[in-house]
Amino acid sequence: MTEIDHSLIGTSAPPFWVEVERGAIRKFADAIGDDNPLYRDEAFARRHGYDGIVAPPTFPTCFRAPKDPPWIATLDRRRIVAGEMGFHYVRPIVAGMRFECRLQFVGVDEKTGARGAMSLMRQVMSGYRIGEDGVARECVFTVRRTTVYRSAQQVASGSLA
Amino acid sequence: MNERPLLQVCVGDTFALSIPAVTTTQLVRYAGASDDYNRIHYDQGYAQEAGLGGVIAHGMLTMGFMGRAVSEWAGPAAFIVDIEARFNAPVRPGDVVVVTGTVADSAPGSDGRQRLRCEIVARVGQKTVASGAAVVAAPLAH
Repeated sequence: MTEIDHSLIGTSAPPFWVEVERGAIRKFADAIGDDNPLYRDEAFARRHGYDGIVAPPTFPTCFRAPKDPPWIATLDRRRIVAGEMGFHYVRPIVAGMRFECRLQFVGVDEKTGARGAMSLMRQVMSGYRIGEDGVARECVFTVRRTTVYRSAQQVASGSLA
Repeated sequence: MNERPLLQVCVGDTFALSIPAVTTTQLVRYAGASDDYNRIHYDQGYAQEAGLGGVIAHGMLTMGFMGRAVSEWAGPAAFIVDIEARFNAPVRPGDVVVVTGTVADSAPGSDGRQRLRCEIVARVGQKTVASGAAVVAAPLAH
């Protein structure tokens, strides 16, 4: 099946766990060409009030479940493009933090634009910090993602080209 | 990097950051760093077949540039509370992305730190490729 399964709206994917590694932060900062010492130099970060090396504001984009969520897994990857992203923080993410990530399929908006028909899939991921006792409590960040699922006709017509 | 503590910033102030031309190597690197291996970002044949006219950059790479512009302007003691972007048009290898920001609002937060809301736009030439906003918590005044 390559169309969106609307019966999955409102459901959540199985939670997954991530540990924020300093090497992963540095690689991510390198990939976006950002030489900010906050992302590399622990002493510098501590001098500016942080508990460790800080993650760039778009870093949670790399928090991925081991498997695509059910509402994405059946789709045609060629038809998926990024629509919107939004990151909200209660506190900064720093190296060493561990999170339980919960991803929910919030809804679908159908849209017909200059490029033809498309579906906008709205998903929200919440990151709950796991404490020393192994229990996930405080929600530290949320990520709102709108994924564009282009129609098969759009792919055939090269409408984004 | 800006070490100035954002305390003299006014609504209407602007900032800008010009990013060196995006390369295909950078897209591969970003795919690895972000764990996003959609082939539309590095496989020319696949991206052609997908009707994209060749590989396109990850929207999130462009948003990474937007985050850079905000954090470089805000300085290391500021905290980006919110950042959001809408992707309007694809970025391709060879494109030079320029990010501009404008301070749209300034109000005290409940924690005593000033909240600065900035509108941010990423352009390639005259074309807007992404637009959005960020909210920055300024450091406490000493």
